[in-house]
Amino acid sequence: MLRMPIKERPNWEAKADEFGFKFHSMHGERYWDERAYYQFSLQQIENDLETPTEEVHQMCLAVVEKVVADEQLMRRFCIPESHWDFVRNSWVNGDPSLYSRLDFAYSGHGHAMLYENNADTPTSIYETGFWQWLWLKENVDSGVLPRHSDQFNSLQEKLINRFKDLQTLTPDRELHFTCCKDTEEDRGSVQYLEDCASAAGITTHFVYVEDIGRDKKGNFSDLHDQVVSWMFKLYPWEFMFREEFAGLLGINNIRWIEPPWKSILSNKALLPMLWKMFPKQPNILPAFFEDELHLADGCDSMVKKPIFSREGANISIIRNKSEVVTSPGPYGSEGYIYQATYTLPKFGEHYTLIGSWLVDDEAAGISVREDSGLITQDMSRYLPHIIL
Amino acid sequence: MKRTKHIDLDLMRKGLKKRLLQAPLTLGIAVVALASCSNQEEVAVVNSPEDCAAKTELNLGECEAAYQKAQAEAERTGPKYNSNAQCESEFGSGQCRQSRSGGVFMPMMTGFMVGQMLSGNNSYGGSGYNPVYRYNNRRSSQHNRIMTADGTVIGKAGQRSYRVGKSTLKTKPTVTRTVRRGGFGAVASAKSSWGGGKSRGWGG
Repeated sequence: MLRMPIKERPNWEAKADEFGFKFHSMHGERYWDERAYYQFSLQQIENDLETPTEEVHQMCLAVVEKVVADEQLMRRFCIPESHWDFVRNSWVNGDPSLYSRLDFAYSGHGHAMLYENNADTPTSIYETGFWQWLWLKENVDSGVLPRHSDQFNSLQEKLINRFKDLQTLTPDRELHFTCCKDTEEDRGSVQYLEDCASAAGITTHFVYVEDIGRDKKGNFSDLHDQVVSWMFKLYPWEFMFREEFAGLLGINNIRWIEPPWKSILSNKALLPMLWKMFPKQPNILPAFFEDELHLADGCDSMVKKPIFSREGANISIIRNKSEVVTSPGPYGSEGYIYQATYTLPKFGEHYTLIGSWLVDDEAAGISVREDSGLITQDMSRYLPHIIL
Repeated sequence: MKRTKHIDLDLMRKGLKKRLLQAPLTLGIAVVALASCSNQEEVAVVNSPEDCAAKTELNLGECEAAYQKAQAEAERTGPKYNSNAQCESEFGSGQCRQSRSGGVFMPMMTGFMVGQMLSGNNSYGGSGYNPVYRYNNRRSSQHNRIMTADGTVIGKAGQRSYRVGKSTLKTKPTVTRTVRRGGFGAVASAKSSWGGGKSRGWGG
């Protein structure tokens, strides 16, 4: 695994316009950064990332199986009691999943260590599935990169195939997509998935989260008053469970992507559960609930993560019981978990995090993010990668 | 190969160019081969609630509701053109209007389909009232034919009834009366006030 400098494609910003990639820069800073790329060997990809990704995913599913059957654990995961049946039923019924992203610390040597599972609302899917694919194609076409360069990225192909499966499993329904207003990144991610669904032959619609309505019976509706019967939401379950329309979930007849059982995986309580159930698995870091910290004797440095948190907010690194690095944010009221510190690898001045994607339960590609700090946050840059 | 083999770049382009490509310059007309009888249904094409009440077993109230639904369906699914001229070249002079949401031009619906097997009982609730259009391009062999929004020709204009494949009548998504909006989004809104709206989104 190497970090290689490369010339930017001279016209890439015009291309971004042409393809509708609007969030390549945010707040005047680069988010998409093609001044360098990461190079992996095929062995690194297949042995250290692809296989462990599918294995860890299976372990995560085993955690769901255990948690839905245990009220005490449902409490630990901060799933409101009013929604236990909703979550449980979606698991028991086998409601199908579209995708997830596991975040790993991986340096090119040794094991990739799991940081967390973005199983409910993973983003950077457009940059991964399409935009870095195009970057590779153009650099190969222009002779800048060798012809036999490859990329671990079958995401778009797999997403379209998965949408075809989902249409078969959800016959006669049209699919509504939703995300919040005023966020170009979320809208862009959802548009991409909408395009993939259309390519699979699904009829799609869009409604903003804030515009979702209800009728007298409790059905949800879009701005054209069309009843929602199947919905992809880029909006966290843990938010929806605590909002005004929460009581209608499970009452109205809607198939959800991601399904409600994903609320157990996108939850940091997953991490201590994985450690309890699979302590021998080499990709799992020791992790503990707050009231079980006495079990963490051997760890002199821990990362404190809120049960619910996004984009690296409210995370602290604790050494010898005092916080040494902290990221700000609005999360933490539901409590915290503690994970043994495993520092991100450093390439030059950059700390690098690997996002490993799954479509259903198949590993489907990776994304690489860089940050100048130890905690990867929403302003960290996205870099493309190749296999050579 | 560990990556997607092929991506159709034209499908990935956004913006004006794509919109121009999307709008049909000519409607994709499909003359559907007759399906077996069991897959067919006899429908009446009616052009107003009154016409509907006279020609079908629905009463006037039901016909009014059906008419409203067909109009809404027409707005949603009707053929869309960038200019009135493009639209009129296919559907005839004075037969087009701007869509309610603005921007595009659509042919006015000539009428809508009502199944003959449907009586006043609730079985009709499951069936869509698909709008139909009279195709009026003199140079086309399909001139003066009646077609649905997707270009499926169901027969010559002016017939008493039409035999159509059941898929032509396929149930369209239900439309309801929304009594309240804004029941989702509050948590995101509360959290985004933290940090002066710096957050990029609610994915992770």
